Amino acid sequence: MAIRQVRTIGDDILTKECKRVKEITPRVQELIEDMFETMYETNGVGLAAPQVGVLKQIVVMDVDDGNQYVLINPEIIETSGSQTGPEGCLSVPGKSGTVTRPNHVKVRAFDENMEEYELEGEELLARCICHECAHLHGQLFVDLVEGDLMDVNAEEEE
Amino acid sequence: MTKPTTKPTESREIILDVLMEILEKGGYSHVILRQALEKYQYLEKSDRAFITRVVEGTIEYRLTIDAILDQCSKVSVAKMKPVIRTILRMSVYQILWMDRIPDSAVCNEAVNLTIHRHFQGLKGFVNGVLRTIVRQKDSFTFTDWSRRYSMPDWLIELWKRQYPAAVVESMLQAFLEDIPTTVRCNLDKASMEEISDSLERQGVEVTVSPLAPHALLLEHYDYLDGLEAFQKGWIQVQDVSSGFASEVANPRAGDQILDVCGAPGGKSLHLADKLKGTGLVVVRDLTEAKIRLVEDNLERTGFTNLRAEVWDAREFDPAWEEKADIVMADLPCSGFGIIGKKPDIKYQASPEKLQELVKLQQEILTVASRYVKPGGKLIYSTCTIDRMENEDQRSWFLEHFPFESSSLTGLLGESISEETLEDGYVQLIPGRYPCDGFFIAAFQKHKD
Repeated sequence: MAIRQVRTIGDDILTKECKRVKEITPRVQELIEDMFETMYETNGVGLAAPQVGVLKQIVVMDVDDGNQYVLINPEIIETSGSQTGPEGCLSVPGKSGTVTRPNHVKVRAFDENMEEYELEGEELLARCICHECAHLHGQLFVDLVEGDLMDVNAEEEE
Repeated sequence: MTKPTTKPTESREIILDVLMEILEKGGYSHVILRQALEKYQYLEKSDRAFITRVVEGTIEYRLTIDAILDQCSKVSVAKMKPVIRTILRMSVYQILWMDRIPDSAVCNEAVNLTIHRHFQGLKGFVNGVLRTIVRQKDSFTFTDWSRRYSMPDWLIELWKRQYPAAVVESMLQAFLEDIPTTVRCNLDKASMEEISDSLERQGVEVTVSPLAPHALLLEHYDYLDGLEAFQKGWIQVQDVSSGFASEVANPRAGDQILDVCGAPGGKSLHLADKLKGTGLVVVRDLTEAKIRLVEDNLERTGFTNLRAEVWDAREFDPAWEEKADIVMADLPCSGFGIIGKKPDIKYQASPEKLQELVKLQQEILTVASRYVKPGGKLIYSTCTIDRMENEDQRSWFLEHFPFESSSLTGLLGESISEETLEDGYVQLIPGRYPCDGFFIAAFQKHKD
């Protein structure tokens, strides 16, 4: 297990389309473990494989609801409602912006044993699913921000 | 995705917005706060009281709060981002001056606010500074008056040149004390008993002012406009000190009275009440908006011997030349006497503005003097304690115009005893009397 380096905005890899995972190899297992560790270390609630430099369709999430979710080859199959609120990304450090997302999302994916399942989420989980799945298609939340991206340095810039 | 946060409570969001408007954008605290409370009328009474208290307290103690923050933060207050600065200021106020809120709750709410305003990366900074302040909260004592009483240095220096040091210090203390709302009762409309009963039925704590029998002090009310006594025009918000100006005018039935800068009309309504339906009071002020305030009050109270007009007091109106039995000149001033109620005054004042005010007052007094009938009276008043605008202005007036001072002895009730009453003026000082800082001078025009 290791903490991996999180790629940040400007890195080309974050704009690329990820490949579907065909089978769970030891390398993929290790990647998933490392992704959880990296996510917890950086105080995140979700992380997608391209953020640690791997172009595979893998997402890990923990929104403090008592579950660890792994989404492999996820497809969002249903969305409804709407929520508007602040969102931030480990690949866009020190910034935050207002993003509108569906309030309810249903996603079909494979778990770490390559078994297919469906996950439904509301509010934070729904937001997280949308945010992480977008990474797999080379999209960042910054393009969806309403108004300004706010930054978070201690001092006012001159 | 990064971790989002719990939503801060709505009242703290409102406090932050209101304080940003006032402290960062220079809005007037009473205007901005009133607008916010009108907008959020659905909030519980306790929330509204909380908002008012934190907003007013943070502004009032801003200099003391900033001194504490500068001691405990690596980034100076002046260099902080406005949102962060405001969150910290309102939190320090709650930690140091509101005992009933647990410090940990204040810190948590501050962190939530920080994140909710998109400054996720600064939550550690905010939390760290506030926790440091909580740990040291009993150790903040300042010996200099500016930081101890949250008053700009130049004002303290100015007053020290005008008053003995002990008087200045007691004023500084008085400005920070809680001040109940003073209302004057329109005795023409209802008796004192009826008015007190009505207020007490609505849960207001009522005390009769020690300075004037027709004035009541109100505490623990939610929203003035919601009080029956207010809606019926029985009460009028007016400090006793300002009621004194009308007492000093002491009109006789049938008098023609011109109030040259009268909005929102408190003194004029008082005079109209005293005239008992006879005579005429004309209230003037500079703008439509101000005159509308008078008209609102007029409509509520229904006096028929009062008229409101837009007129620039600096401009002479020949129609009133030597026509007025009484001219009321309650002029624009620095407002230092009401810093206890409107604390932003102390931050917005400047020596240059004082000079301009002195000139403006002289300009208006010059015009106003011409309206007074021979033998008639001119009442000059301000809500300040600045001698340049008060005693000096009185001397200047007596020197340049055909007036003599008109004694105030016996006109202000028994609780005010100042040697200067005989000489026709009085300076009420906060801390010495339970009222605003106020100045009144009465002049009588020579008869020939």
